[in-house]
Amino acid sequence: MSQTQSELIRLQSVNALKITMDNYFQGLKQAAETRNRKIAWCTSVGPAELLYSMGFEVYFPENHGAMLGAGKNADKYIPTAVAHGYSPDICSYLTSDIGAFLQNETPLQKSGFSSVPRPDILVFNTNQCREVEDWFSFYGRHFKVPVIGIHTPLCISDLNPEIIKSVSDQYHRLIPELEKVTGKKFDIDRFRETVGLSHDGCVLWKQVLQKAQNLPSPINFFDAAIHMGPIVVMRGTQPAVDYYKILLAELEERIENKISAVPVEKFRIYWEGMPLWYKLSNMAKLFAKLDTCIVASTYCNSWVFDDLDPADPFTSSALAYCKLFIVRSDSVKENVLEQMFKDFTINGIIYHESKTCARNSNNRFGMQNRMFKRTGVPFLEINGDLNDPRCYSEEQSIIAIETFIHQLSGR
Amino acid sequence: MYRLGIDLGSSYTKGVLVDENNQMVDFHCVKSGYNFNNASAKIIAHFSEKYEIVYPVYTCGYGREQIQAAFISNSELIALAKAVFHLYHRACSIIDIGGQDTKFIQVNALGQVDKFKMNRKCAAGTGSFIEEIAFRLDVTPAEFTEFVKEATDEVKINSYCTVFAISEIIGMIKNGAILPNIILGIYNSIIARSIEMALVEDHLVITGGLPFMHPTIVSLFKDKYPDSDSPEHSQFLAAYGCVLLHSKISDFEN
Repeated sequence: MSQTQSELIRLQSVNALKITMDNYFQGLKQAAETRNRKIAWCTSVGPAELLYSMGFEVYFPENHGAMLGAGKNADKYIPTAVAHGYSPDICSYLTSDIGAFLQNETPLQKSGFSSVPRPDILVFNTNQCREVEDWFSFYGRHFKVPVIGIHTPLCISDLNPEIIKSVSDQYHRLIPELEKVTGKKFDIDRFRETVGLSHDGCVLWKQVLQKAQNLPSPINFFDAAIHMGPIVVMRGTQPAVDYYKILLAELEERIENKISAVPVEKFRIYWEGMPLWYKLSNMAKLFAKLDTCIVASTYCNSWVFDDLDPADPFTSSALAYCKLFIVRSDSVKENVLEQMFKDFTINGIIYHESKTCARNSNNRFGMQNRMFKRTGVPFLEINGDLNDPRCYSEEQSIIAIETFIHQLSGR
Repeated sequence: MYRLGIDLGSSYTKGVLVDENNQMVDFHCVKSGYNFNNASAKIIAHFSEKYEIVYPVYTCGYGREQIQAAFISNSELIALAKAVFHLYHRACSIIDIGGQDTKFIQVNALGQVDKFKMNRKCAAGTGSFIEEIAFRLDVTPAEFTEFVKEATDEVKINSYCTVFAISEIIGMIKNGAILPNIILGIYNSIIARSIEMALVEDHLVITGGLPFMHPTIVSLFKDKYPDSDSPEHSQFLAAYGCVLLHSKISDFEN
């Protein structure tokens, strides 16, 4: 296959992705309808492996939030949550998800769901933010089901044994609560197996993302934001592993055939912060037009839990989920970014300051200036939001992005 | 034969005619209104009466691609940086205050943009801020400049939000504050919004429609930054820079 100067070539794996995700949702739908398997709701970087190993179907409200954003419907739902007392300044995944629930609407209805699948238990990890606990508590109160979770220390510099032990102990303490819901005993071998599958899926996902180190990159941030679905919702399952083998093979083939993610790649950008879900397609086209590929991002790299180890599933889970970028100190984050700049041959970095996601807006404490001083890599700050389009001024941002790329071209 | 640069901004469309030696020779400005095509057509028609224009014309601004004539569009920030460097030939910081945007641009000694920033989502600190307040107070923006000369003391405006700033001002008037002092407070509020965008570390050049229409703002900047100034025709500089970006003459030749 060859590529013309203006063509954005779609990844063929998207067909396999659709089948993989459809199967996941059908499993959830069946469990919701028949109640023959218990359903746990889990945060996106929560203990999915533990839940899958105990036989739960696992549903991820953040994935649902992203679906509402990508479907450009979040602003239809956020006002309802606001009217119920949730501030428009807090997580717009939360407000759009709760707003949609209160309006009894979900994009899952297109797949035959009557509503989001009723939970038997909700399990969070605060490693990403405190909002997830509040979010799950809303549903816990509504459905009168338990809300349990792991409280992870924030801004971790040194991943010392005390922190790992504390989180590992919290993993252990979840088990009796989960057993009460399933009515079955926890099986360590099944947990090891699930952790092993999660590890394998994460390693494959990492390899997928690392393909973007190639010049030119066969995949960009906008592709990755779509293709990350299985590593978010099916981490610890065989279908996720199988899917990333397919995607990885396609990217290897692309590299061999010199097919790049953008038709002409002159500039390579790092994206720091959340995607603007309602503008993914517009942004993909804008950057392609500017001969620019967003080759790496904090966001997509956040689902690389390659420290998971079936030989020591509890400790390695604690380590993997505490090592996450979002829960680390700025000095650790800055080291990670510097290494990423080198590994991915980055020309510039864009910080998306997301109005309702402080934890994913790393330019709020001066990191952009420190990183510029340290690496000389130019930066741009964009104001917007992950889900709420009312927080984003598109015209102004286009001018800023065009100017930034022009700025890079002068170097 | 003259080249034409047009900056199709949110409030005004500015045209500048440039001769073969890269000198600005004539200027024209119209309200952008709701139709950038009309605004740019008015600019072209105005200059076409007296001058022969070479096409394409060079554009920037929000409406940069809404023009019937052949054009090449540019980033207004890059164009502005180009024009300012052309005039000063030195590293500098630019603060440009327009109708909806406030921009900070840092230009290095080679004329390259090192860093830039635009105002956040709201209009505080931009021309719209003054226009809205002037409308509510039933004072023309032009009258602001006269009133402020009678200021005896500054009144501090705290609100970021234009609407709340108006409520704040109404409260101040109720408590006896006089209009000249309030206007001085509004000007200082605009300056505060613009200088918090980034650190001014070198020569400061103030540009845009707002400092042109409200020269007191330039004086107030000078009080804070003695090494600052606002060049003549500063609201036309982005349009001028559009032409310079496509000129064959180097910045160091004239």
